[in-house]
Amino acid sequence: MNFALLSLAIPLFSGLLLLLCGRALRTRITGFIAIASTLISLVCAWFALQEVAAAGTSLLLNLGGWETGLAIRMRLSSLSALLLLFTALMHLLIGLYAGLNRAGINRDFWALSCFLHGSLAALWLSADLFNLYITLELLGLTAVAMVALSGKKAYRPAAHYLILSLAASLFYLLGVALLYGRYGELDVLLLAPRTEADVTTRLALLLMTTGLMLKSALWPLHLWLPPAHASAPTAVSALLSGLVVKGPLYILWVLWSEVAPPALAQQIGPVLAIAGMIALTAGGLSAMRSPSIKTLVAYSTVAQLGYALMALGLLLTWQLPQMHIALWLFVIAHGLAKASLFLAAGEMQSSLGTRRVAGLRGATQTVPVAMFAFAVAGGSLIGLPPSGGFLAKWVLLEPLLSQPQNWPWALGVLLGTLVSAAYIFRVVALSFDRARINPPDINPDRVGHWLALLPALMVWGMALSGEWLIQLLAGGGV
Amino acid sequence: MTDTPLMTAIELYLTLGVAVFLLSLHGLMTLHDPIRRLIAVNLMGAGTFLVMVSLARRSEVPDPVLHALVVTGLVVAISATAFALRLIIAAHTEGGKQRDREDRNTEGGGKQPP
Repeated sequence: MNFALLSLAIPLFSGLLLLLCGRALRTRITGFIAIASTLISLVCAWFALQEVAAAGTSLLLNLGGWETGLAIRMRLSSLSALLLLFTALMHLLIGLYAGLNRAGINRDFWALSCFLHGSLAALWLSADLFNLYITLELLGLTAVAMVALSGKKAYRPAAHYLILSLAASLFYLLGVALLYGRYGELDVLLLAPRTEADVTTRLALLLMTTGLMLKSALWPLHLWLPPAHASAPTAVSALLSGLVVKGPLYILWVLWSEVAPPALAQQIGPVLAIAGMIALTAGGLSAMRSPSIKTLVAYSTVAQLGYALMALGLLLTWQLPQMHIALWLFVIAHGLAKASLFLAAGEMQSSLGTRRVAGLRGATQTVPVAMFAFAVAGGSLIGLPPSGGFLAKWVLLEPLLSQPQNWPWALGVLLGTLVSAAYIFRVVALSFDRARINPPDINPDRVGHWLALLPALMVWGMALSGEWLIQLLAGGGV
Repeated sequence: MTDTPLMTAIELYLTLGVAVFLLSLHGLMTLHDPIRRLIAVNLMGAGTFLVMVSLARRSEVPDPVLHALVVTGLVVAISATAFALRLIIAAHTEGGKQRDREDRNTEGGGKQPP
């Protein structure tokens, strides 16, 4: 058994175990099993990364031993190994928070979070268009079930989210059917050299792109995200914003950078990049005007995904390897920072007894650690050095600034930075307003606040391992 | 050419499949009631599966891969529909409605009932 497959199988089986006999166990033990399996999965992902780095090329995992053409293949590239590691790390950090904070969490969270981990791991490893559809559905269903964990008030946003998610999957499936009808292949690696820029391929790619953009809430198909993410329990919001929206983004990347013929990819590139630029500004402006804390953080996800979309668009337009590195650095830095931001927002919300941003007056005095986590994670979203966000933005900006004809794109990035700074500083400035303090309702939960800070510290630590990450991503993206 | 009528029949089914997909997409975008929207999504699925089944019939021996995909897709569609129905019903029980009224009141700019 391969380490990557272990990293996928362990959360999946512990999820099944918890689903079957979770009711018989005590909540503490359920949480312990889930966190332990995440930890083992993290270690396996690390070994898988070593394995692929030693091989120097991506490894094909032939599960059933069937011959090529009949088999549904999985692929371990250095990128998918890194994403496996990232997924396990995020689950570990958020699982620790969910298990140790004072308010606790619904016991069904643990089984669902294991399933979420398993389906994401399967997504990163799949190299088959239909298998990717299955992982998309798994991801969508688990995510909706997790949103519904916060009780009655979340049922309506959850149902809305589910219906849109199903529609998006069907768009993707219709595209897969058309591609199969045209080429008779579903395997990404077998399909890639055969695709041509004809009408059927264009239509199929367009359908799949629409579905995937809806699923990962890329502008202009993002409107479902803020209500769904803001109404979920805090730990779930962190998982959804930090991880779940990145899954469809990965498929979008596979589709356009591998399956699509380069001529078509060059045509769609600018469109995606412009959509990303608009997402940056529009999402940022909505975050700036949002009255509630969690909605602000959710809109900031829409805005930050704009950077990733822009990097993807420019990658396709120019086929520059730096853009590939920038794209995945953004994904990782945003995941960690957003986890911290959501956890801190949730903690402040429960300590101060308010959902409104205006209720954060004097938060630096009343809930200092949570506010510090918010500001530090926000600093990475803005791209202040030496955070992970800065690293990603630097890699993105470098090729943009070196050529004068690319300066309009650079201007877009800088505008996005300005808007991000505006919505983060709006909160930070309010929290320093110590003249009119909003006193906390309950004694702040110290453990919860420090655990909210942990991912933010990691995203700043990313800068220390920046060279390693860049070399890893440059080494073998495909 | 003996299989010319077969080809036209397949083209008819393909067109029908796409038409069903587009009609139900229109339904999904214009309807508000969640149950109707769920039915629209199911019809989108039906259109997709019709396209897949007709694509499979292009050769004399139907393509088993597409059939397997349709069967898998049906399983996913059924379980997702069951889940969605449960969620919608739960959202519409008394507590859900009460919540609904509260939402409308707070959004209405302070027009609170006495």
